[in-house]
Amino acid sequence: MKIVLDRPRCEGHGLCEEAAPQLMHVDDDGELVLDREEIDEADAALANAAARVCPVAALRVE
Amino acid sequence: MSTPPTSDVDLFADQVVLDPCPVHAELREQGPVVHLPKNGVYALTRYDVIRGALADWESFSSTSIAFNPMANQALTGTSLASDPPAHTRLRATLTENLSPRALRGLKGRIEAKADALVAELVEQGSFEAVDALARAFPLEVVADLIGFTGHVRDNMLRWGQAAMQVLGPMNQRTAENFPIAGELYAWCSEVTADDLAEGSVGRGIFDAEARGAIPEGTAGHIIHQYLGAGVDTTVAAIGNVVALFAAHPDQLDLVRAEPSLIPGAFNEVLRFWSPVNVWGRLATRDVDVEGTVIPAGAQIAVLLGAGNRDPRHYDDPDTFLVERNPVDHLSFGYGPHGCAGQGLARLEAHAVIEALSRRVKRLVAGPEVRVPSNITRSIEELPVLEVIPA
Ligand code: SF4
Repeated sequence: MKIVLDRPRCEGHGLCEEAAPQLMHVDDDGELVLDREEIDEADAALANAAARVCPVAALRVE
Repeated sequence: MSTPPTSDVDLFADQVVLDPCPVHAELREQGPVVHLPKNGVYALTRYDVIRGALADWESFSSTSIAFNPMANQALTGTSLASDPPAHTRLRATLTENLSPRALRGLKGRIEAKADALVAELVEQGSFEAVDALARAFPLEVVADLIGFTGHVRDNMLRWGQAAMQVLGPMNQRTAENFPIAGELYAWCSEVTADDLAEGSVGRGIFDAEARGAIPEGTAGHIIHQYLGAGVDTTVAAIGNVVALFAAHPDQLDLVRAEPSLIPGAFNEVLRFWSPVNVWGRLATRDVDVEGTVIPAGAQIAVLLGAGNRDPRHYDDPDTFLVERNPVDHLSFGYGPHGCAGQGLARLEAHAVIEALSRRVKRLVAGPEVRVPSNITRSIEELPVLEVIPA
């Protein structure tokens, strides 16, 4: 499975990082960095939580 | 497939806009979509269909967010009322100066302002919370941020309120507010960089226009949106913070004991009392919603507050619980049109909650006064009779 970020859409609200700090973080410039894009079954719930919480629907798990 | 159930509820009747929860519950139980002939709309009532519709901009267009054609026409071409791909570009300019990224530098200043204001009110011992805090604070923050001075600053509240009122159907409230919303519109169509304080975000928008980053003549539109969308709703949210903490001292105690609950507490305030009662969309085609059909061309009424209290999504939804942390509440909308100012709203509200929870042990409030309003639901007056300091 993969986390996909629609970068132009991301506004850096950082709510995804709060939901899944193991998978992503907002860097010092306020840009979201996906620390892991390829994820396995074990992290699927976390990734889905991050995607769900993004207020502008910029994250997807596929 | 069948047609949705019908109800003779009038969403914009005084008693409904003052206290929408009972009507929301009734409609939600009737079905996920309910046809309301009195308003000429199809109302979306349940969490899942609301969130789904807000994400699906292709079926639910934003070209009809208001409930009267004049307001929709006036909004044509703004980021609020456009669909991708045009929307995507407009949105980017709108948020360039408003994203958490752009606002990072402001956090300290906003926190200091909130703290000073709350300290002063605690010192006074009693105050009228809406004027002294819910209006005063966002007014100051937004005015300084955009660079408003003089008569614009004095008119911000009136203008912001009117900009929301005119989104309603053509009732008396809408008619009375058109001239006031027109003052804002007129000012925004003539505003120049020199009218805004140096170094402000407003100046930054004009700089962007000058370097060609946004089309010529659009800076005023963006300023219009900041003011139109950002003032009235924030006033409502901060008034609700004070009222709900006064009414639920045990919940204030929880935040006092555990400041990490602050963001969650704000989410719960927004979920419990949605600042925006209703928002519009337009069905671009026949849409199947859980087995019923909304016909192409139908005006949609998105009942954000009804979704926020849907027991299918939140346990015990009618109870105010700061530990719930409903991060996925609908009050900021969702998806491509999700509130562009939510980063700023969070900065402001978190600062107010932080200052209150640090300086106040208990707030004793008198009865809140509300006046009917088309779109925003806010408290008009809230007497805090006694403050027990921390
Ligand atoms: S929550 Fe959404 S907008 Fe915010 S940083 Fe994450 S992906 Fe970007």
